[in-house]
Amino acid sequence: MAHTLLSCRNVSASVDEKPILHDVDLDVAAGEVHVLMGPNGAGKSTLGHVLMGDPTYELTSGTVLFDGDDITGLSPDKRSRTGLFLSFQAPVEIPGVPLRSFLRTMVDAHDIAMKNKEFKRRTKELAEALDMDTVYLDRELGVGFSGGEKKKVEMLQLLLLQPKLAILDETDSGLDVDALSIVSRGMELYRKECDGTLLIITHNTRILEQLHVDRTHVMVDGHMVAEGPASLIDEIDAQGFERYESLVADAR
Amino acid sequence: MPASTWHFLRANDATIEIPEGLAIAPDVRVSKTPATCDDADALDRALARTQEQWEIVHPAPTADEIAERDAYRAAESDATYGGTAQSTYQANADAIEEARSLVAAFEHGTGEAVATFLREMAGKRIVVQAAPRETVATTVVVTGAPDVISAAAIDVVALRNSSVDVALVIDGVNRNVQGDAAPNGGTVGLTGTTLRVCADEDARVRIVRMHTLDDGFADIDDMGLFAHERARIEVSQTILGATTTFTGLAGDLRGDSARADVETRYLGHGDQSHDLNYMLRHHGTRSQCNLNANGVLAGRSSKTLRGTIDLIRGCKGSEGSERETVLLVDEDVRNKTVPVILCSEDDVAGNHGATIGHIREDQLFYLESRGISRQDAEAMFVSATLEQAAIDAPVEEARTAVLRLGEKLVPGFGELFD
Repeated sequence: MAHTLLSCRNVSASVDEKPILHDVDLDVAAGEVHVLMGPNGAGKSTLGHVLMGDPTYELTSGTVLFDGDDITGLSPDKRSRTGLFLSFQAPVEIPGVPLRSFLRTMVDAHDIAMKNKEFKRRTKELAEALDMDTVYLDRELGVGFSGGEKKKVEMLQLLLLQPKLAILDETDSGLDVDALSIVSRGMELYRKECDGTLLIITHNTRILEQLHVDRTHVMVDGHMVAEGPASLIDEIDAQGFERYESLVADAR
Repeated sequence: MPASTWHFLRANDATIEIPEGLAIAPDVRVSKTPATCDDADALDRALARTQEQWEIVHPAPTADEIAERDAYRAAESDATYGGTAQSTYQANADAIEEARSLVAAFEHGTGEAVATFLREMAGKRIVVQAAPRETVATTVVVTGAPDVISAAAIDVVALRNSSVDVALVIDGVNRNVQGDAAPNGGTVGLTGTTLRVCADEDARVRIVRMHTLDDGFADIDDMGLFAHERARIEVSQTILGATTTFTGLAGDLRGDSARADVETRYLGHGDQSHDLNYMLRHHGTRSQCNLNANGVLAGRSSKTLRGTIDLIRGCKGSEGSERETVLLVDEDVRNKTVPVILCSEDDVAGNHGATIGHIREDQLFYLESRGISRQDAEAMFVSATLEQAAIDAPVEEARTAVLRLGEKLVPGFGELFD
C-alpha cells in the first residue's frame, strides 16, 4: 500500500477572524488521484490555499504533514520546494516579467539541474504538448493571456516541476471544450511522467473522464462531510449536494 | 499642487552637472545611410511649410474676434477668480493659445539650453527624411567612453503619408567598473542625443531609444516632437544603465486627430538616478496622447518622473492619459511620480493613474507557491527587466548592448539568450 503523502488533521482556518474551515481531516496516499467536491462556498479553494500556506488565511488549529514532515509552519516557498504544488483558479498577472524568466527562476529555486539549453528544449516541448504557442514564453506573465492560456501556463509549470502532489483548484473553470481537453492532457502527462499525486478541486466531472479516481471527498460549509470511492462522483452528479448540506444543517 | 509642495518635490527642474575636462568626441554610427540626407534644414523648412498650411486653416483673429476673446476671458476670470489678477498658469495658457509661430512654439523636453549644448557637442546633424508615402528605417548608435562627451543631433522629417522608424542605441563601457559599483560616485563620461521630429499629415514615426551605459556615465535624452493632422508618433524609451540620466520629451500635437504614444521602461539599480520630464501639448481637435511608464527601482536608486499633459483651449474632443507603474524592490529607493494635467478647454478628457509599491501580496504568494522566495522574486524583477529589453530590442545592436550590460549586472545573463 502506498504511503500517506498528505495528511491534514483538525485543520481550522479563518480569514479576518471569520472561520471558514472547521476541523478538516484529509489523507492522500502517494500516486493516487483524489477529488474534492462541494457546493460553492464550501471552502474547497480555501483548503487548497491553506495547504499551500497562503498568508491570507490564519490557521487556527490543526497540523499538515507532507511526505512525513510537519509543514504546518513552513512558508509557501518552502512548501513548494518540498514538492507541493497549487494550480490557481485565477492565476495572477505579473507585468514586467516574461514568462520564460519566471519559469527559469522557478526551476532555479527548486535546484533542478537544468542547463539553459535543456531548459529551453523542455519548455518548448511542454508548450507544444499543451498546444501553447511558444511566443507566449516571451510575453509578460499572464498579461493579456486568455483564461485558457493562463491554465495552460499552470499545466506547463506543473510538468516542469513535477511535484509530488499537485492541488488543482478549479483548473477547469471557465474553459471551453478544447481548453478542457488540453488541461486533461496536462494531468495525464503529469501522471504518466512522474506518477504524480493529484487533489482535484472541481465542479465539472467532465475533466475526470480520462482519469482513474481513487477517492472522493465532499466538503460543505467548511466541514469535510463525506469520503468515498470514485462512484461518489456519479452519485453527486445525480443527486447534488442536498443530502450533505442537510447533514451539516442537522448537526447544528 | 500647492507651490510649496511643488518646490519640496523639486518638481520644477533638474540640475545637470557636466564635469570639466571631458573631450568632445562624438562616436556616432548611422546604419542604413540611404535613409539619411545632407539637408540640414529639412525639418525647419517642413515646419515652415506646415506653418503656411496651418495659417490658412487658422487665420489670425480679427480685431473684433480679439475683443470678443478678451471679453470672454475677463468674464471667465471674474467667475473663477472673483476678478483677481490672472494666475501665472492662466497667463501662460493664454500666451500658448495665442502664439502664432509653430517654429517659436517648438519645444525641447530638456529645454532649449540643453538641446543647444547637445547640438554643439554633436557637430553635424543627422537628418532622416521620408518622402511622401515612403517608408524608411535608420539605426543610430552612440557610443560613450570615459573622459569624453559623445552626442548626436538627429532630425526626423516624415512627409505626408510616410513612415519612419528610428532606433537609437546608447551604449558605453566604463572599464573602471565591474558590476554596479561606481568609482567615487562621479561622472566619467557623458552621452546624449537631441532629436527633433516633424510628422506631416498622416505620417507615422516610431522612435525607439534604448540605453545600456555602464555605471559612471551620465546620459541626456532630449526630444521635441511636432505632429500635424492625423500624424502618429510613437516613442519607446528604455533606460537600463548609467549613473545619472535625464530624459526630456516635449510634444506639440498641433494637428487635428494627431496622436503621440510614449512608452517608457526604466530600471534603477545601485546608486542610479533617473530624471524624466514629459510635456505634451494638445492644440488640435480630437488629438490623443498616452504616456505609459513602467519601472523597477532597486538598490539605492532614485527616480523622478513628471508627466504634464496640457489641454489647450480649442483642442475639443482631445484626450490625454498618463499612467505609471513603479515596482519598489528595495527599501532604500526613492521614487517621485508627478502627473500634471493642465486644462483650459472644457470638451476634453485628461486621465492619470499610478501604481507604486512593492510586490502585491497575491503576486508574492503566487511566486512563493512556485518556490520563489521574496528575495528571489526581487532579483527576478531586475533580471526580467533586462530580459524584456533584450526581447523587445528593435535592432541587433540594441540586443547586443542589453546582453553586454545584463551580463555585468546578472552573471550568466547572456546564457539565457544563447
